[in-house]
Amino acid sequence: MEIAELMASPLNLAVIVKLEPDFSEGSVSYNSDGTLNRAETKSILGPHSAIASAAAFYAKVKYGAVISVATMGPPIADSALQQAQLISDADSLHLYSDRIFSGADTLATAEVLKTGIKKMEGTGEMDIVFSGHRASDGETGQTGPQTAWKLGYTFLGNVICYDVDIEKRIVTAKRLITLQGTPDVIEEIEAPLPVFITVDPSYRSVFNTVSLRLASVKYQKEAEQRAQNYKNYLKIFNAQQLEVDPKFVGLPGSPTIVYKVERIPKARASRRAEVIDGSDQQQLRRVAEKIHEIVGRVVNQ
Amino acid sequence: MERFDVAIVGGGTAGFSALQQLSNLGKQAILIEAGKTPGSKNVSGGILYSKTPKNGRVYNVEDVFGQEFVTQAPVERLITKYILHATSNDKVFSIDLTPAHEYQSNFAYSVLLTKLIPWFAKQAGENAERQGGGIVSGVHVRGVSWNGDKTIVETDELEPFEVKAIIAADGVNSELAELSKARPKFTPEELYQGVKVVVKLPEEILQERFNIKPNEGAAHLFAGDVTLDHIGGGFLYTNRDTLSLGAVYHYDSLMENPVEPYVLVDRLLKNPLISEFVKDEVAIKEDIDKSLATQEQLRARFAVSKLLKNWGDLRDQYYSRLGRARLVENGRYKSEEEIKARLDSIRNELVGRYNTKFVNDYVELEYSAKLVPDGKRCRMKKPYRKNILFVGDAAGRGIFVGPRIEGLNVGIDDAVRAANSISRSLDRNNFAEEYMGEFYTKSIEDSPYTRDMKEIDKDYLKLFLDAAKAVPVDIVKARYGIIFKLMSSGMLRGLAVGFANILGYDRLLPMVETRETYVQVPIELAEKLGSHTASTYSCTIPTIAQRIAKLRYNDDTLSHIRILDPKSEFMRKMVVLCPTKCYSIEQEEVMLQHEGCIECGSCAKETDWKHPRGEKGIEFRYG
Repeated sequence: MEIAELMASPLNLAVIVKLEPDFSEGSVSYNSDGTLNRAETKSILGPHSAIASAAAFYAKVKYGAVISVATMGPPIADSALQQAQLISDADSLHLYSDRIFSGADTLATAEVLKTGIKKMEGTGEMDIVFSGHRASDGETGQTGPQTAWKLGYTFLGNVICYDVDIEKRIVTAKRLITLQGTPDVIEEIEAPLPVFITVDPSYRSVFNTVSLRLASVKYQKEAEQRAQNYKNYLKIFNAQQLEVDPKFVGLPGSPTIVYKVERIPKARASRRAEVIDGSDQQQLRRVAEKIHEIVGRVVNQ
Repeated sequence: MERFDVAIVGGGTAGFSALQQLSNLGKQAILIEAGKTPGSKNVSGGILYSKTPKNGRVYNVEDVFGQEFVTQAPVERLITKYILHATSNDKVFSIDLTPAHEYQSNFAYSVLLTKLIPWFAKQAGENAERQGGGIVSGVHVRGVSWNGDKTIVETDELEPFEVKAIIAADGVNSELAELSKARPKFTPEELYQGVKVVVKLPEEILQERFNIKPNEGAAHLFAGDVTLDHIGGGFLYTNRDTLSLGAVYHYDSLMENPVEPYVLVDRLLKNPLISEFVKDEVAIKEDIDKSLATQEQLRARFAVSKLLKNWGDLRDQYYSRLGRARLVENGRYKSEEEIKARLDSIRNELVGRYNTKFVNDYVELEYSAKLVPDGKRCRMKKPYRKNILFVGDAAGRGIFVGPRIEGLNVGIDDAVRAANSISRSLDRNNFAEEYMGEFYTKSIEDSPYTRDMKEIDKDYLKLFLDAAKAVPVDIVKARYGIIFKLMSSGMLRGLAVGFANILGYDRLLPMVETRETYVQVPIELAEKLGSHTASTYSCTIPTIAQRIAKLRYNDDTLSHIRILDPKSEFMRKMVVLCPTKCYSIEQEEVMLQHEGCIECGSCAKETDWKHPRGEKGIEFRYG
């Protein structure tokens, strides 16, 4: 994209996404010890990354935003970028791929992503960066906030919807706050751009005018076209091209390490199940009798 | 508030034709459809005709969508055979009505709307975008209000918007007709209730069975004892690799003597001729040996499921010329013989190793229902209200004269006329009733289709009578004998038709559309002239619960229907006449469970009936 074009856009957005194992039925494989068999399991764009991409698409439809999607991962992670482009109609795709990035914890990952986002900015400023709520294979929920901190952006978490006042350069957002023992609360907040948004799983874009619906159809079609030729939009950076400090990335840049994973043993069930084959009337009658008996017992109590 | 020139409400064949035509004329139009995607809520019989009447002109599908329709549209088969069967028990007397079917016809295709409508939507949508319009799906229009010269459209999902004119293509249960008070709801006397099942049948087996060439198709109609003494009949149309089998009855005839709609379809399936038509090879899984270890039982269960799926998929491909070619082309098989060998080996494994049985039965894919307005009785005399023009089913238009069954093409003709009328009004910025509505009314009145809803066409009648020539005059009851005699001579026929048209359809129809015509005469014909038919098996017919379980819904927690009087005679009949058994009686009052509703509108007359909110409700896969 030309710099002039980038400057002309009212909003510059970045989305950080992750390639994750597909945990849906039929796609996932486990080793005999119960750990995930990564080689046999298909990888897809993480479900929370998909929601983040959809949140960015909202600004594309509403404000004509320019979107860049970025991920750190092996070369095959470009499929996550392709899927994110299909959802967000991204204008450019960035893959940060280098052997020295491997073994990174969340902080080292945030370093790579931050450097990448800074590089995307070019002469303009990145207005909003989106990330998912958390990854489905890591569950830390840290990469987003840490990237925000490294970028020095205002961090808005658990966002369920947002709007931007382009003139005043202010974002308004609703955050869902779930506290145990109290009713859920929705907080409305306002912050000056730039901001970093992590999207709540319940986020849903609402296109509530005819024009927005028509625009969304138009951009969806564009997204389908683009995603078919996603390689034309793809830029791959290694550590050198990204100009990251090797001290802060990969294993050397990771202050934490997962050294042991313990499985939580299953508690023994206190109930006993009886299998009744429902293939004939007789058997079904027994099911009815059982239900009758149990309901009767509960009622009598 | 946002403004657009034209809003089209409803994405059926008429709605999309209107969008295409307006866009062709360079006008801005948006089409609002409640279904999640275009086509997901459309049901038809269905055959789509293109016609060239001898007097006057009609607008055909290819006039609107271009020759691409003929070369690209996902239609099913070109219908080249049209046969009427009179039935009584196992006896069937058949009359070939192909010449009547071909009368003034350029072509007629069998169609499945969930496949065809998305094609219309793609063409019209792209065209509309160029004019600043487009398609908005998943949105339900709930109101229109007029404020001075402003027309405001309200929906369940979007902010209100302003338009200059509206085309109501929202079907037989048009909410726009009701909220604009353009017409009262249709009465049972003005409607047909149709129910349909789509049956699976591999392509080449279908072609061989119906003795048709690739891409060609057949239509079969049924009357006689299969009607269970109601006024109407059955139909069976061949699609590419499915059959559309259905029953269409005068709704008042069903009200008089209520019977569950699916029972009428089941009755058709029990007829030996139809049983043989739908017959296919079906695998029946044998129960897994319970004495085996649990692991082994599971393994066998998975293995059988996988083999059955492979067998079914491969068989569908094998019995399709293109399917076979594809398998060989992509290198999966070296030759057609190899595919056959593989198919046999899977079958042998299933039989030999897992005791699977292969029997004759039929495979039902989808159950659906729809009300059809009888254009002879209920077409709107003034198909407009303020700046809303009504088209197709919404305007109560369709041609149903004996074996002549046309609805889709009529809607397309209306849509073009409505689009042309609105285009003219946009040019003059005049949307007054007397300028736009009256112009549209006149255009509709000029349509040969409207003429066919008003009077008998003696040339069509001649073709029909010629086809029935084989019927000895003295075989049917005296009254019909005289009619046949009269109609068989050219001069007398002219006189008789002239006299009949003087009487008009209003007085004529109660004499012609009777049990005698649809039930007794066909039974007599079959009894006296028919030949015996036999079926080698009897269909395992699914229960209504099984049929509903196969349908796909996006449940709406809010009901789109509200009962007005739970004790009314009409509502009590709905307990029987609702095609998906949404009604039941509890403590003398009729209760509704809306979750299984397939939105046919059979209960609309005495309920507060709306279409579900955007994206909610039934999603058909065949339509």
